[in-house]
Amino acid sequence: MNARVVLTLVALLSAGPAWAQSKGQLRIPEFSALSEKASETVTVTLDANLLGMAARFLSNEDPEQAKAKKLVSSLTGIYVRHYTFDTDYAYPKGDIDGVRRQLNAPGWSRIVGAVSKKENTTVDVFVLIDGEKAQGLAIIASEPREFTIVNIVGNIDLEQLHDLEGNFGVPDLEIDTGKKPAPAKPPAPVKPPAPAKPN
Amino acid sequence: MNENFEDELRRRLRAVDAPEGFAERLMAALPAERKSTVVAFVPKAAHPARHFGVPAALAASLLVAVFLGVRVANDREIEQQKGIAASQQLMQALRVTSQKLDLAYEAVNSPPTAGDEENRS
Amino acid sequence: MSFSATQPMPDSLLAQARAGDRDAFATLVRAHQGSVFSIGLRMLSRRDAAEDLAQDVFLQLYRKLESIESLEHLGFWLRRVAANLAIDWLRRRPYSDTQPLEEGAEIAAQEVAEDPLMSRELMRLLGELAPHPRAVMLLRYQEDRDVAEIAAMLDMPVNTVKSHIKRSLTALRGQMIGAKLIDCEELP
Repeated sequence: MNARVVLTLVALLSAGPAWAQSKGQLRIPEFSALSEKASETVTVTLDANLLGMAARFLSNEDPEQAKAKKLVSSLTGIYVRHYTFDTDYAYPKGDIDGVRRQLNAPGWSRIVGAVSKKENTTVDVFVLIDGEKAQGLAIIASEPREFTIVNIVGNIDLEQLHDLEGNFGVPDLEIDTGKKPAPAKPPAPVKPPAPAKPN
Repeated sequence: MNENFEDELRRRLRAVDAPEGFAERLMAALPAERKSTVVAFVPKAAHPARHFGVPAALAASLLVAVFLGVRVANDREIEQQKGIAASQQLMQALRVTSQKLDLAYEAVNSPPTAGDEENRS
Repeated sequence: MSFSATQPMPDSLLAQARAGDRDAFATLVRAHQGSVFSIGLRMLSRRDAAEDLAQDVFLQLYRKLESIESLEHLGFWLRRVAANLAIDWLRRRPYSDTQPLEEGAEIAAQEVAEDPLMSRELMRLLGELAPHPRAVMLLRYQEDRDVAEIAAMLDMPVNTVKSHIKRSLTALRGQMIGAKLIDCEELP
């Protein structure tokens, strides 16, 4: 292998986030300063490897986990930043706007946009459609004392997302039909197991 | 959610008595003395091979096998811990996702009030 | 040695139990056995499993008394361990037996003598909730714990606890109305 080819490969491999990022993946700031101010923080960064590892440790017998296992089988990343504060608007809107701007890129469509001036709440749900498949999902929710960014990457089965209703409380948004959502269904029945002595 | 239904739930969900004799059966099952057990590692004799008549090379390779076995077991345990942590993170991520979709759903389903914009789905 | 509901237990009881006083430990057990057993019963829907679970919880307590800081912490610790142990059991053991309907009324509070049908149906519906929301509802309405405590006990965000409560109440109420056990006008 000559030096020129080696240099090209090295350049490609060290190209940084743009190369490493999958389609549908957003650049989400770390918000490390905010973690210290927040009363509650949820930070999840699961790439394809970690998702695969996580799925192996989910139980097929727990209905919630079984559904999660099915959903993540075709995903390549799940990224969540969720912060709760004790005072209103303790977070910089500018950083969130930076994430929103990425969703103006071609392919992304906003499928739900809800603003409540009374509650000062904004929730936007975006989907990246590539061909006929959803390859990315983004949710940006800002409330006076909370903000949340969710980015799900990969082959997203919107029907499976519907199936989570009742287990994770995911509502039936009927995203693909564009109709108004149906009322929430009650949780799926879970039959009690036959108990046995613990180990 | 109305308070009457919640009060009814509280009434019907008040704790019931444990079975007759539960405490006695439990106390009978307790160990005689409540002290922590300490397992002390006792090193083997200096020359196990000579002591048991096992050739030194075989003894050495057995020790290496045990060491590697312990190391593999440790690595497996670390891997398992990573996997469990990742699965817990995954479930938490999905719960947060569902909550926020829930918020969107409520906004979509609530009748618009003055000052609110309509859902634009 | 026993204490009534109006007579609080002395803090020294915990220290005595740690020092090996079995009577003191038995007193602590009797004070909390109803709650721990009831969590097991309503999570696992079987009395025998609930007793096994309760015994496990108190055996763990016996081994870990040194880590209990106060009587208040004891109450928190027992409910946390009971709920999480029950969730763990439900996850690991496949469903293979139905809970007899006759037991449903027994699982409800014994003093609620009237309308056993409603109690039975409520317990059945509770048993149909997934493990986490079921545990949340029990800690809230059986144990009267607040949202922050429940979040700490089950290691979940506060908003998740609130969401579980809201959705479970909606589901339970809706199904009770659907089964004509409550009138939607009676509970406005």
